[in-house]
Amino acid sequence: MRRWTVRTHLAGLVALAAATCARGERAPAAGPAVIDDAHRRVTLAVPARRIVSLLPSFTEMLFAIGAGDRLVGRTAWCDYPPAALAVPSVGDGIPPNVEAVAARRPDLVVLYRSGPNVTAAEQLERLGVRTVLFDLNRLEELGSVARRLGVLTGHRAAADSLARAMDSLVSQGPESPTPNPKSLAFIVWDNPPIVIGAGSFLDRLAGLAGAHNVFHDIATPSAQVSIETIAARNPDFIAVLSDTAAPPRYAGRPEWRVVPAVRKGRFLVLPGGLFGRPGPRAAEAVRELRRRLETTP
Amino acid sequence: MKYLVLAGAALATLAAALLVGPANLPLADLASSPIVWQLRLPRAVLAFLVGGALGVAGTSLQALVRNPLADPFLLGLSGGAGLGAVAAIALHLPGPWALPLAAFVGAVGAMALVYRLGLVGGGELDPRILLLGGVAVGALAGAITTAIVSLAEATELRNAFLWLWGGFSGASWTTVLVMLAYAPLPLGVLIAAARPLDLLALGEEPAQYLGADVRRLKRVVYLAASLLTAAAVAVAGVIGFVGLVVPHVCRLLWGRLHRTLLPTAFLTGGVLLAAADTLARTVVAPRELPVGIVTALLGVPVFAFLLRRWTVG
Repeated sequence: MRRWTVRTHLAGLVALAAATCARGERAPAAGPAVIDDAHRRVTLAVPARRIVSLLPSFTEMLFAIGAGDRLVGRTAWCDYPPAALAVPSVGDGIPPNVEAVAARRPDLVVLYRSGPNVTAAEQLERLGVRTVLFDLNRLEELGSVARRLGVLTGHRAAADSLARAMDSLVSQGPESPTPNPKSLAFIVWDNPPIVIGAGSFLDRLAGLAGAHNVFHDIATPSAQVSIETIAARNPDFIAVLSDTAAPPRYAGRPEWRVVPAVRKGRFLVLPGGLFGRPGPRAAEAVRELRRRLETTP
Repeated sequence: MKYLVLAGAALATLAAALLVGPANLPLADLASSPIVWQLRLPRAVLAFLVGGALGVAGTSLQALVRNPLADPFLLGLSGGAGLGAVAAIALHLPGPWALPLAAFVGAVGAMALVYRLGLVGGGELDPRILLLGGVAVGALAGAITTAIVSLAEATELRNAFLWLWGGFSGASWTTVLVMLAYAPLPLGVLIAAARPLDLLALGEEPAQYLGADVRRLKRVVYLAASLLTAAAVAVAGVIGFVGLVVPHVCRLLWGRLHRTLLPTAFLTGGVLLAAADTLARTVVAPRELPVGIVTALLGVPVFAFLLRRWTVG
């Protein structure tokens, strides 16, 4: 009778241990989990400790939420903050060099959701590397990306406060609406002329700075237009992204001088690092654009 | 008669190009507006000149290699031009003329290489080797271009391809003058070769017996047509289809004699490209279509209709 009891106790213990083990195996479900923009459920056993970021905006954002020290790989384009340059580069990332990324032995790879990147993510997953794909085309998407990066890195508090700042930036109108808002056109290439449309974060950035993008009616992020169309829209300013302060090389050409803003030399030369990508410095970019709109004659 | 029709079409096309555009100009302002003088007019004239040059170059090359599929860009020129343009951007060559000049140099370099390959069999330029050499040189240039694009870290490289796909956004009186100063020589050389080109259609040996200096003819026609195409690339990028289809359209409509074929190909090519460019910059306004798409959309149905009419008839 006694022996029987001991046996049942033992069996009970074994069963209990087995159950504990099973719970232990299920533990990843209790770790950080998010749904990414490819509608995949991304779960980690523990917050990510070795991260490869394949977009400069994600790199900036990881540093901004205090997870910069978790980065073990970045793209050749990731140049902000300066501390990012100390992280090893895995190439230009277009498309990602899957082997170079895997060689960093990451436990999370953060990618922008594009065709080639989705393929690269699938390849990395087959190698046992967890990946997360985010959309980041509009300022409105910054907050949601920051929150999910906060969950995956365990830096929720910092990420949530950054996300709140981003959300309040995009939900507000211009701080001081001007009665006659200045108009501008972003010209990103001259031959053929490519301008920024409403699908780009730059369009929203201009709106927040109190300016009107004359190509707001074009829904795509960018579009090819003719010089004549730019002249007909007659923007007050031509905004160009460049790291040199000089006006663009086409400024002196006769066909471009038909555009009044070009003829008058009303260029806003915006630093590419700050304005070339949506990121945690969006508010700084808005202030900088507003300042230039006010100070450029 | 055909020249009257073509001249009428050319005038109508030019008028349309001047009258329509995304800027709504009142008729009274047309004559004084800088939009007309600095943008629409040089653009229409340049499109006409480039279309004409491609039409003539295509006609001559089809006669030279005696292959209806020949196209001014088939013989390695587009690959060479692309390599030149991409190299100019990767090397950060300064100045507004760096890109077109580099594309021109690339096209002429490819032409020289193909020409040299064409002579491998001896002193005689072999049209079959020209075609094969053109494809091979084009592939080589394309491979080097891709290598530069994937290795160089310049965001502007994508835009080199936009430029290369062709268009007249950068048209100005300067580019029109460049074309006007450059094109007459190769055009004149090709038109002067009209009679021997007719003889060449009979085959190289019969042409030789009938008094054509075939060896010299092949060299001169190849070089003139290629130099004409290289100039078109420099001012407008690679615009496909015009040089392929215009010669066939003219041959179907007005016969095979090069004395009429070459001038009509010039006018037809000009009308087609100027009309295509007007449509490219107006139909999806405020946006703009790459002009090569419009030439294909306009040209293919016309071509198919003509083919059907002539093969059935």
